[in-house]
Amino acid sequence: MKNKKLLAGPYLFWSVAFVVIPLLMIVYYGLTDTSGAFTWDNIAKITTPENLKALGIAVLLSVVSTVICLLLAYPLAMILSAKSVSQSSFIVLIFILPMWMNFLLRTLAWQTLLEKTGVINSILNVLHLPSLDIINTPYAIILGMVYNFLPFMVLPIYNVLIKLDRDVINAARDLGANSRTTFFKIILPLSMPGIISGITMVFVPALTTFVISDLLGGGKILMIGNVIEQAFKQGSNWNVGSGLSLVLMIFIIASMAVVAKYDKDGEGTAF
Amino acid sequence: MKDKLIDLVNITKSFDGQTVLDELNLYIRENEFLTLLGPSGCGKTTTLRILGGFETPDSGQVIFNGEDITKLPPNKRQLNTVFQKYALFSHMSIAENIAFGLKIKGKSKTYIQDKIKYALKLVNLEGFEDRSPDSLSGGQQQRIAIARAIVNEPKVLLLDEPLGALDLKLRQDMQYELIRLKNELGITFIYVTHDQEEALTMSDTIVVMNQGYIQQIGTPEKIYNEPENAFVADFIGDSNIIPSLMVEDKLVKILGVPFKCVDTGFGKNKPVDVVIRPEDIDLVSPADGTMTGIVTHLIFKGVHYEMEVTANNFEWLVHSTDMVPVGTEVGIKVDPFDIQIMNKPVSEDEEAVGVEE
Amino acid sequence: MIKKVSQKVYMALIFILLYAPIVTLIVLSFNASRTRAKWGGFTIDWYKSLFQNSQIMNALYTTLIIALLSALIATILGTLAAIGMQGMKKKSRTVFMGLTNIPMLNAEIVMGISLMLLFIAFHITLGFSTILIAHITFNIPYVILSVTPKLKQTKRSTYEAALDLGASPLKAFFSVVFPDIMPGVLSGFMLAFTMSLDDFVITHFTKGPGIDTLSTKIYTEVRKGIKPEMYALSTLLFVTVLILLILINVSPADSKKARKVITKRTKAVSIICKRVVPALMAIVLIAGGFYYAGQGGLGTDDKVIVYNWGEYLDPEVITIFEEETGIDVVYEEFETNEIMYPKVQSGAIAYDVVCPSDYMIQRMRENGLLAELNYDNIPNIKNIGKTYLEKSEEFDPGNLYSVPYCWGTVGILYNKTMVDEPIDSWSVLWDEKYKDNILMQDSVRDAFGVTLKYLGYSLNSTDLDELTAARDMLIRQKPLVQAYVIDQVRDKMIGNEAAIGVIYSGEAIYTQQENADLEYVIPKEGSNIWIDSWVIPKNAQHKENAEKFINFLCRPDIALMNFEYITYSTPNTAARDLIEDDSIRNSPIAFPDDEELKDCETYRFLGDEFDSVYNEMWNKVKAS
Repeated sequence: MKNKKLLAGPYLFWSVAFVVIPLLMIVYYGLTDTSGAFTWDNIAKITTPENLKALGIAVLLSVVSTVICLLLAYPLAMILSAKSVSQSSFIVLIFILPMWMNFLLRTLAWQTLLEKTGVINSILNVLHLPSLDIINTPYAIILGMVYNFLPFMVLPIYNVLIKLDRDVINAARDLGANSRTTFFKIILPLSMPGIISGITMVFVPALTTFVISDLLGGGKILMIGNVIEQAFKQGSNWNVGSGLSLVLMIFIIASMAVVAKYDKDGEGTAF
Repeated sequence: MKDKLIDLVNITKSFDGQTVLDELNLYIRENEFLTLLGPSGCGKTTTLRILGGFETPDSGQVIFNGEDITKLPPNKRQLNTVFQKYALFSHMSIAENIAFGLKIKGKSKTYIQDKIKYALKLVNLEGFEDRSPDSLSGGQQQRIAIARAIVNEPKVLLLDEPLGALDLKLRQDMQYELIRLKNELGITFIYVTHDQEEALTMSDTIVVMNQGYIQQIGTPEKIYNEPENAFVADFIGDSNIIPSLMVEDKLVKILGVPFKCVDTGFGKNKPVDVVIRPEDIDLVSPADGTMTGIVTHLIFKGVHYEMEVTANNFEWLVHSTDMVPVGTEVGIKVDPFDIQIMNKPVSEDEEAVGVEE
Repeated sequence: MIKKVSQKVYMALIFILLYAPIVTLIVLSFNASRTRAKWGGFTIDWYKSLFQNSQIMNALYTTLIIALLSALIATILGTLAAIGMQGMKKKSRTVFMGLTNIPMLNAEIVMGISLMLLFIAFHITLGFSTILIAHITFNIPYVILSVTPKLKQTKRSTYEAALDLGASPLKAFFSVVFPDIMPGVLSGFMLAFTMSLDDFVITHFTKGPGIDTLSTKIYTEVRKGIKPEMYALSTLLFVTVLILLILINVSPADSKKARKVITKRTKAVSIICKRVVPALMAIVLIAGGFYYAGQGGLGTDDKVIVYNWGEYLDPEVITIFEEETGIDVVYEEFETNEIMYPKVQSGAIAYDVVCPSDYMIQRMRENGLLAELNYDNIPNIKNIGKTYLEKSEEFDPGNLYSVPYCWGTVGILYNKTMVDEPIDSWSVLWDEKYKDNILMQDSVRDAFGVTLKYLGYSLNSTDLDELTAARDMLIRQKPLVQAYVIDQVRDKMIGNEAAIGVIYSGEAIYTQQENADLEYVIPKEGSNIWIDSWVIPKNAQHKENAEKFINFLCRPDIALMNFEYITYSTPNTAARDLIEDDSIRNSPIAFPDDEELKDCETYRFLGDEFDSVYNEMWNKVKAS
């Protein structure tokens, strides 16, 4: 098939129509006021103390939960990658399976678990242990993020690790490296594409979420995602919402650039 | 010959209930080029991995220089491995790859620099220090893998089908290169391959393995000329393997026709297998032959002609520099010392060892 | 050994983390109590009523059809694109990969917003098709990313061999290349399907009226308390998928064990597991989808688009209305007046009848968004009590635009066992001893209204000093507040999560039925008395149907049904007379006497300018 590349035509059309042009719409709205005149004001809105704080909280919480996800996911991916293929594919499915229970319900279930009179505290009570009061705090939001996004960290790392040539690790051992050195000098650097792709796949959704902070933060903790959502859904100020979205897009573009740098062959993709 | 350097004692290993090595005993002398030869799945790579420390045998011992190293992890062993697919560290430069083992040992910077230079010179890749492994051809990567192993001055170098991924010409060049290296370094090479020509070319000793058992150990000449069983005979070179009857010492009945031979001690009227190499068969005029037959196929092979001769319902494979046209009636003659007599396999285990299609 | 054990323990802990919420949801699906805060015994009733709940079933089938269609289209487009990209030069392939990465890495919220802006700019009505387009858009990358690696593995030589043997390029592709990449295509499809099923954010921004996926349905229910049927449905979905996965995963393992003898039976079993069962399920889904879609009557034009508060109408009432009039009701819900207003204002969706609160009606009226009612079509207005029509004149002089539907007060709901003194003042909301035990309303006007009243000002204050004082009070209160919620006050109070909550009187009656320790009071400083009324937006397409709908709701028997369902006070005096239970007909909560209401005010619209002043101040509070 000489004209094989023509097959990508419909996709190109689709992408331009429903990915590129919509993004340009955000740029347009973000840089104009309600009358359609050019302005930087919408973007400058990020510098108001409230919005800066919302952005700051979002960055802080998403960084923390990304780090936790990484620390939890890496050992898990290592354990999984050492398993036999049929076994591990089943375990990978176990990570996808919860997605069939609605995301909102799953997150909401944490309310039931974490509440003062919730399941976890009832159990702690019976065991005469101090209660866990994290509902409606940033800790609950972090938990929600880690819970929801952990699979997106595990899968890319796992995918890189199973592709690692066992003999490369053997070679390092053979050349005198103990398991510690082998891990830090060989396994970790070689799994970098997976780690980077995992980090972006956790960081971006965590940074921009409004649902998790809504459901587990008791409406007390405003993240940048909440501000944008409110601008569109409640305040009806699309220009300001678009302006703030543009600011978010800077973060996203930055992370895409990082991915492109480390993951040239697309080997660190999650699926 | 020098003393034993490595001694494998009663090694047994199985994976998922399948026995890969069964009570294997083997010793390796110092400064020897020893080749483990066999088809895939014969246990040769497992043997090598047990030597390298990547697998632990279910039972048995690995003795190195008189010490039991069975449980020693790979990083504590005085052996280094060259892996089949090179296993270079793709995130490091060539120099970093070679320096890896030395850095771990805490060698000085200048020592490491000198060693890198020396090793690259040894494998004919001077000036490649800053290249990345991905930018090298297969043959070059293989040399780097060897360089990376030998800078650590191991007592033994383990090579796991290191030339398997190279093309024919390069493979032949590398064979000589390896022999040269071994002579320059003066260390023991343990080499795994399924390529009999490679084994015959390079080795001091060949260990032929099949299905977890050692079939025969010997010099290349001995393995080729005096295979101990049908498997070895068939695996190494071309051969005619014919079920026969040992009438008495120095007389064997092949396809009902008595042939003189030199073997003794098989007893009387005993069924045996006979191996006759195709180049050892002389085609003569029907009157002079021990047996007569008709040439049915003829192929020109360059150095010789390959012919098939049907005689007494058996297709004889014959190599000769003289061409005999198809349809010619010929006599078959074999010198007594070219007839190799082997015992028939008795047990079921040995049956499994037998020739596979 | 120790390593193995610690690995197992670690995996188990992660497993618990992943599945604890799922187990919780499954348990809740068997909970006899309607509220998640209380265990009311074991029941399977929700599984039975699930299939009678046409709203949930509709949402389910919309979700499944969108997931199926979007996954299917995305799989076709994505597979074609992946093949096309194989044939490209490195440079253009990089561009395409970049394009593919955008939806993968872009924030869902940004993507949702961008698509919404696009649809509105090009006047594409938000609805089924826009959700579908959005889902296809974010699904394609998953397909491309699962197909591409498989394509890289297939050898060009096999394709060429097929050509050499006389196959046409198309034939060669389908007989040689396609089987090789099939696993990638399938897993891409499954991923796309799953992603579509689980999506909320993008659907949230691209959906239109009358159409709900499970996610958006749940989101509207979150405020109110999830309907237990929803738990039942999720459990069913989850278990179905679990069984499917086990079937698919177990069958190849079996055939591996019996590698030597593949009997006809095991082969048949594996075919049934892998092909027949999924195919049957797909058929059931699609057929069910058409069945329910047919019931929803998406095709007819004789309809009325209703935009109402969440859980603010007995679904049975809609069924009766549809049966009696033959008009299809397209029903959508909102959570706050502030969420409703921009939707009506933007005109992106032409609602026919909306139920805003007093001050919002005033705002809509002043901004010319409302159509005058034709009372010839609403004779049942006679059933509405005179006092309520008079009260309505405060925001709708002459009762030109609105017909009262529900009314009530805002007060404090408290748990008698958790407070020490009798509660009669807003001051408890600032009492340090109830730190973390206070539930505050998450809406601007209610939060400020309560505070202004406590400070002795009008809750319609436009005095900047008063407002600043109120704002500072609210900021001071924030550390004491357990959570800002809307309708969740109900569940949380029933579950003894908090001691004090600000709540609408209508919710109080229900909570008392569930938890006898709860008591409702209108604080002595006075409070808000509110009226929610039906109005018709100016751009309504089916005004007569809307008036028929309003008239229908004013019928005493219908008003009574609604009252019993939502427990909010009804202004329909004829309906009140029909209430059989004396204690409810004369309930001081549902129908307080005038004495209690003397310090209560209705909200008034304060103008767009003060509206944004309130909003900005509220944002300061929330962000503090």
